[in-house]
Amino acid sequence: MELNAQYFSLEEICYATQSPSQTIIELINQGIVEPEGSGPETWIFDTQMITVTKKACRLHRDLDIDWSGIALAISLIEELEQLRDENQRLRKRLERFLDQ
Amino acid sequence: MDFQDYYKTLSVAPDADSKTIKTAYRKLARKYHPDVSEHHEAEEKFKEIAEAYEVLKDSKKRAQYDELREYGAQGYGQQQNQSQGGSGQQYSQSSFDQGDFSDFFSSIFGGAHQPGQGAGAHGFSTQSAARKGQDIETDMPIFLEDTLATTSKPISYSLPHRDAQGRVSQVNKTLNVKIPAGIVDGERIRLKGQGGQGLGDAPPGDLYLRIRLVPHPLFDVEAHNLIITVPLAPWEAALGTSLELPTLSGKIKLRIPANSQTGQRLRIKGKGLVRKDGHGDLYAVLKVVMPDSVSEESKQHWQQLADATAFDPRMEWRK
Repeated sequence: MELNAQYFSLEEICYATQSPSQTIIELINQGIVEPEGSGPETWIFDTQMITVTKKACRLHRDLDIDWSGIALAISLIEELEQLRDENQRLRKRLERFLDQ
Repeated sequence: MDFQDYYKTLSVAPDADSKTIKTAYRKLARKYHPDVSEHHEAEEKFKEIAEAYEVLKDSKKRAQYDELREYGAQGYGQQQNQSQGGSGQQYSQSSFDQGDFSDFFSSIFGGAHQPGQGAGAHGFSTQSAARKGQDIETDMPIFLEDTLATTSKPISYSLPHRDAQGRVSQVNKTLNVKIPAGIVDGERIRLKGQGGQGLGDAPPGDLYLRIRLVPHPLFDVEAHNLIITVPLAPWEAALGTSLELPTLSGKIKLRIPANSQTGQRLRIKGKGLVRKDGHGDLYAVLKVVMPDSVSEESKQHWQQLADATAFDPRMEWRK
């Protein structure tokens, strides 16, 4: 099947994540989500931002963390994921050199 | 259906006060939250923890549960119908769909049971019954070769299906998804309306595919470049050679210069992964390897070489 548009307006991201626009604006103020465009009318979000928003909302709800704590948690989780990926890649490359 | 000991789940005493329960929940939730934890059973564990907290944080629910726990825990199987009759109220969800709670929970506090998502579909539902259907998140494995051009790939996933009687079961669904050229590991694709069905007139949820590049037996990925390790015989490294090098798009000729070293990188322009702004490069990393066994004749040749060559590979140690 063809892909649907992968860019979204504020209204569309609110619908996709089932979140009120205040939540999205809070995430933008915290720098967790950084849409293109200069204001609510022109903001453009991508799919990655939808999944980050959903994750932020889950953490906010389940762990009872305020939004600035969420911002910290999300950036640390991202960093951890990057380091894990990098570690895995380097390990694999090292194995190619050390086996035999 | 087994009796669930919510106090045990949260590791608190049955007479614990609400503050202790809250702290215990937060501690466990941080440890097992699927967005944070790498634990292989994180999602299951977290559901149990959330369910236990849902009951114990609410004094009314807790009292109801305590009563059952005191009188009915042992013969729970026989008591459930009675207790179900007694609690007619519909539970309104706050942390999960009510369907994400156990049969045990539903039998006390009401709500139709909905089994958890099948293997492969991870993530959990966030929508309440009145809103759109459940979003499904699942990984989509992609071979490196498939990222070079836009391709169509099938994806199978399971999602909850509600029949006319309101019974919910897991059904499998397969879609053909167009994967754009140059897609990267971790990128997400959203397929609108391909998630769980909505209740009544509510629209269905969405499907989110998280692209996972399958590790390749020959190539490693470094941003938009590829790396291949090229084993060389010692004499090939010394004298140079020409060899056939596999790339993602067929074989090419690669010239190895004389006096090459292990770890040396040769760049083959444009043979990496596809990006919106062109191709990455392929790097051939050289690795000098010895034959498994050395014949008597070879040994003599090596000896001649050793006698004739003034080379100290451990020069650095002598400084």
